Amino acid sequence: MLPMLLAAYIGSEERALIARLQRRDPQALAELYDRYGKMAYSLVLRVVRDSAIAEDLVQETFLRVWNRVHSVDSDKGSLGPWLMAIARNRAIDYLRSSAGRERKAVELDEIEHAPLYHEMEAKILVSDQARRVKVAMDKLEPNYRTVMELAYFEGLSQSEMAVKMGQPLGTIKTWVRTALRSLRDELGVAASS
Amino acid sequence: MTCEELRDHYGLYSLDIAEEPERGEIRAHLNRGCEVCMAGVKRALETTALIGLTAPPAQPSPKLRRRILASVGANDRRSSWLPVLAWAALLLVVIGASLAVRNGDRITEDTLRAQLRAQSAEIARLAQAFAIVSGPRTTEVSFGGAQPRPPQGKVFLNPSQGVLLIASNLPRTPTDKIYEMWIIPKGAKPVPAGLFQSQDDGSAMHVRPGLVDLASTAAVAVTVENQAGADQPTTTPLIVAAIKGATP
Repeated sequence: MLPMLLAAYIGSEERALIARLQRRDPQALAELYDRYGKMAYSLVLRVVRDSAIAEDLVQETFLRVWNRVHSVDSDKGSLGPWLMAIARNRAIDYLRSSAGRERKAVELDEIEHAPLYHEMEAKILVSDQARRVKVAMDKLEPNYRTVMELAYFEGLSQSEMAVKMGQPLGTIKTWVRTALRSLRDELGVAASS
Repeated sequence: MTCEELRDHYGLYSLDIAEEPERGEIRAHLNRGCEVCMAGVKRALETTALIGLTAPPAQPSPKLRRRILASVGANDRRSSWLPVLAWAALLLVVIGASLAVRNGDRITEDTLRAQLRAQSAEIARLAQAFAIVSGPRTTEVSFGGAQPRPPQGKVFLNPSQGVLLIASNLPRTPTDKIYEMWIIPKGAKPVPAGLFQSQDDGSAMHVRPGLVDLASTAAVAVTVENQAGADQPTTTPLIVAAIKGATP
């Protein structure tokens, strides 16, 4: 019962916050930062490993949310997962361009499309989930965990992972799919419990 | 391809590692509002978002909150240094007022308020300029150095902070004219980036806060326009600062 009440509470809070951001209330941006700033910074820092660059990229993330919040449906939107996707994309984009391995910006932009995050569980980014995800990641075989981390935190394609890990591309593809399936099964249970 | 055939690729798509033709097929399904693929990609994105929580917790510096709020024109109510700046601004006004009184001028409350507003705005503008100059990802471009009779100066571009122009030797504009800065994207029309006037000594500092996409910016330019500004340049630019490596 408590998780349901918590989700409902977070959901209503989030909807109110979206509406205030859409009214260009700067204090709403402050609240958004207080809610997700540390989480976004931790993620970006893990990717770029430079605190000054990470702060620049987090600032870009929040400005992007501020400038694009009108594309969010305030009745259905979920800011946290969307913001984290934008933060990760900014960081990966930086990592790729600084390493001279740019890909088309549209590739990253298409998974920032706000409606993809509509009706997403409002509670998925609450702190208790962090522990559950860590447990799920720890349960993965080391190679499976490595490919997940290389894809998510380093933005490597499957071909790039194959080179980095010295494995055939087919093996990497199998590892990635198995890891994703395992995580989905573990977290699917966790998210609905 | 059918939704069933794409099902195994939702996770790869959410991680941005799906390959063609599946990536394009998923995109096409989403674009035409396919509810099956939309639901599948959303579930995959939820899982992906959770992976971000495994990053080691880290604490950003307190100034990041201030920077983010300042970039949308808001003050950080929790800020520790903004009140100091406000007191500094007030002090400047008080000193100015006392000097004026000494000189026999009549200082009204409205005048003091106007001075305080002007000082606060100037401090905010200087803070923006400082943030642009000191940003770790700032690109610096000089202009006018080869001309015998400049304008000359520098343009600073920071992807998250904005553009700062510092110029000297600007000619005085006619009374009904003003300088207008432009950000010129590669292969596209110039975008207005604010109006400014030069000082009596021909110097100027102009800030256009906000995001700048350096990769798609060819140049920053300045023209003389009517007081209301223009949507597109109507005169030959006095200043053109080409961004290194860019081709207009």
